[in-house]
Amino acid sequence: MRPIVSAALALLLWIGLGRPAFAQPAPEPAAAGAAASADQPAEAGSARAQAGFQNGRAAALLFWVLAFATVGGSLFVITRRNLVAAVMGMVGTFFALAALYAMLYAHFLAAIQVLVYAGAIMVLFVFVIMILNRPEEQPWALEGLFGKALAGLAILYLLVRVGGVLWDVKDTPHAVVAAPRPQMVDATRSGALESPTQAAQRPADWGSTRAVGRALFRDYLFPFEAVSLVLLVAVVGGIALSRPHREERDEAAGPDKAS
Amino acid sequence: MNDIFYKLTVSHFLILAAVIFAIGTVGVLMRRNALIVMMSIELMLNAANLTILAFARYHGGAAGLQGHALAFIVIAVAAAEAAVGLAIVVQVFRSRHHADIDRMTLLKN
Repeated sequence: MRPIVSAALALLLWIGLGRPAFAQPAPEPAAAGAAASADQPAEAGSARAQAGFQNGRAAALLFWVLAFATVGGSLFVITRRNLVAAVMGMVGTFFALAALYAMLYAHFLAAIQVLVYAGAIMVLFVFVIMILNRPEEQPWALEGLFGKALAGLAILYLLVRVGGVLWDVKDTPHAVVAAPRPQMVDATRSGALESPTQAAQRPADWGSTRAVGRALFRDYLFPFEAVSLVLLVAVVGGIALSRPHREERDEAAGPDKAS
Repeated sequence: MNDIFYKLTVSHFLILAAVIFAIGTVGVLMRRNALIVMMSIELMLNAANLTILAFARYHGGAAGLQGHALAFIVIAVAAAEAAVGLAIVVQVFRSRHHADIDRMTLLKN
């Protein structure tokens, strides 16, 4: 299963990083202001849609690949007998979901998804599985050598691609920040993700860490602090639950009467 | 007809979230291992988050960022739930040497 997962990840990253639509700077008539571009002609919108990311076929292909990855990953999770395989499928599902969040311009939440879910919660699951399960007799299996070589090649390719993208980043951080973002322009049919007026009115950092942080610390400060209290209670409760109770251990060691 | 495949709308994300939620529900109902059940609950929470973020993207503006704050809080609460739930699973496994939720009938009837 590992070669399949890593090959799927490499494919996702290849699609995500390798599209030329990211590299093209989109023409930005909307930078003049929201009021000026509200009555923009339609052909300018279509020209932007040609260069944009979210409206093109690349975005649609990316969405379908991610949708199949999430659905397949979650089906993989609920059908596995081996718990570690289920956790690995869960990690892949969470990565694909993070990519979907990023497609919805929720960059900060995509990063949080990878850090908290794929990083922390899944590590917790793996720890619990390792505590509960007995160790295997054969930790190193030699029969799946071809799959391992394939997985190694896929991971190597992934590293080369990521390294290439990172190598191309300009030295000055200002150029990275000020790069024009591709915008999605499609209001020809109802249910479209964003109208041109909305796209013009959207600030450049919508969904970024800065914007979400402003929303959290300005309008939602009390829920934020309440969540910190919830986490504190969860930590204390987890410790209190998992601590072995000395006086109860003697009676709990016997066979279970209810089952 | 080809617009369904080529033009992304908010419905695509909503239907995908519904499918993931349904898979998580099936996992909760059908599986007997407590850890798989907890992972299915995480799947359902993620589907809800995807719905929230899709609507936030559809709405846009400052009100959409409120959806981002809500999704952030959902992730934090899910982390707390996973910590407490896994502690409970560890305790149950220590006392009964299995994690089969069909055999945990102490509170039944």
